[in-house]
Amino acid sequence: MKIFSCIKPVPDPASRLIINETKTWIKDQDLTFVASEADNYALEESLRLKEKHGGEVVVISMGGEEAARVLRSGLAMGADRAIHLFDPKFKGADEFAAAGTLARAILKDGGADLVLAGVQSDDLGTGMTGTMLAEFLDTAHATVVVGVEAAPDSKSLRVRRELEGGINETVELPMPAVLTIQFGINQPRYASLKGIMAAKKKEFKIWSAADLGLADGAAGKAGAMYEVKEILIPERKSKVEMISGTPEEAAATLVEKLRKEAKVL
Amino acid sequence: MIFVISEHKDNKFKSITSELLVFAQRVGRDFGQPVTAVVLGSGTAVLADELKNKKIDRVVTADDAQLADYSPDPYVQVLKALFEKEKPFLVLIGQTTQGMDFAPRLAVALRKPLIAGCVEYEKQGDRLVLTRQIFNAKMNMKTTARGEPPYFATASPGAFPGDEVEGGGNAEAVNFPVEISRPSRRKFIERVEAQKGKADLTAAPIIVSGGRGLKEKQNFNLIFELAEAIGGSVGASRPVVDAEWLPREYQVGSSGQTVSPKLYIAVGISGAIQHLVGMQTSRCIVAINKDSEAPIFKVAHYGIVGDLFKVVPALTKIFKDLKRA
Repeated sequence: MKIFSCIKPVPDPASRLIINETKTWIKDQDLTFVASEADNYALEESLRLKEKHGGEVVVISMGGEEAARVLRSGLAMGADRAIHLFDPKFKGADEFAAAGTLARAILKDGGADLVLAGVQSDDLGTGMTGTMLAEFLDTAHATVVVGVEAAPDSKSLRVRRELEGGINETVELPMPAVLTIQFGINQPRYASLKGIMAAKKKEFKIWSAADLGLADGAAGKAGAMYEVKEILIPERKSKVEMISGTPEEAAATLVEKLRKEAKVL
Repeated sequence: MIFVISEHKDNKFKSITSELLVFAQRVGRDFGQPVTAVVLGSGTAVLADELKNKKIDRVVTADDAQLADYSPDPYVQVLKALFEKEKPFLVLIGQTTQGMDFAPRLAVALRKPLIAGCVEYEKQGDRLVLTRQIFNAKMNMKTTARGEPPYFATASPGAFPGDEVEGGGNAEAVNFPVEISRPSRRKFIERVEAQKGKADLTAAPIIVSGGRGLKEKQNFNLIFELAEAIGGSVGASRPVVDAEWLPREYQVGSSGQTVSPKLYIAVGISGAIQHLVGMQTSRCIVAINKDSEAPIFKVAHYGIVGDLFKVVPALTKIFKDLKRA
């Protein structure tokens, strides 16, 4: 089974995000990037499927040095090889352009039996790219997946999707297929020292827009379907009352307010 | 024309459908565009009748046995054919597990923009500007679609007030003949309802919920101790459940339980939109978090910015002392 696991580099969740001068994105020069959290669950699931059914796991990411970094982590976790989509032309991609570019790369590599991606990224967080990828690849797909079971012949899958209100739906898909993996499906492993050492010897391909045969208007910002007008910090609509003081003072004031003002105790 | 793709189950509309109708009615009024609601399913007459009373222009039904259980392939085929014929300005879909399962495919199939997770819109000149939340609702992103319509957009659940749908209409009902040439690749097997275990929070008057800010499983004791002292139940955010600190039945949020107690205390919970939709109707919300920018403070009535490892034990002590007194 040949599995592609998509990884998006995003700013470390602990970082303080500052909007850039043109108000079109955040200042990303000095940030540390990590794999988007849901993509870690997708990679863990990819590795488990490979361990059970054989084959290989290819990690793929798009971007600059930050993408190379998350790919190296993916190799250290146990992926077999990496494809880094690296070109200034890829910059400013929206979900549509990103999915189109990823699809080209997967096809150039000979296609996949399965493509796994996180259900949504920690930055844009809309959960579109994986599903768009399925349409570009013309395969079946399932979103918000919390359980995967491949048939012994590796021709079909049974997956469990998580719907609203904790309802689970089981569906059957023919392979090839694209799955977007929900948080919490597994416990992602950490890279071992041995894994980190082994990663250095693994295949690491770097492909540009020209390598993928992508026309200038098809990738990055030029291939995006929408324009970012402005990024802003939303105004607080609620009138939250902030309580200050030492922990003991704040706790005492809060209890007082809950009893006398809100009258909920 | 603005189209709303309705969402329904067991012959009843889901709440997102009214929210989408409000979104559509407002954009329609601002841009001078009529509104059409679309119902895909099998045996759609009852649902279509319900929509006819809303202040919209048309109800389009697509009725076929293959549309009875939702599946993305038939949905995409039917809607692609509909929108090639109808040439809409805007198509509104729910940012739900169903909407986001087919909307991205549909947009790619038609090579048209999809702006997902919208919470607001505005009219700038003759352009529609759609606002979505990014970085876990810490920031907003204003966007405009490129190229010629149709534009696709999904609305976040809870972003538009579903109880403000304008009624008093007499919409024309139209049947769109369905041609599903390619059967669904995805086959429905079964649906399992959520288990309601010992942590049924829907009726709890007081809930103390913990999040990732607690850092480690054993620190969750702080939450249990506060809940016990105050006489409340324990809840959790999704990351806590994902990390297996607590079973899934404790989860509050869109994929867990929706709660509305008189007092909800959120400890170390940043307030992802999925959590907020599950608790924001609580009568009184208290947020304790070290990050003053955390979105949980947007829905909170009282907030303490500080170290939960100091604030929570202080609170617990006060309640214990009160009990003894």
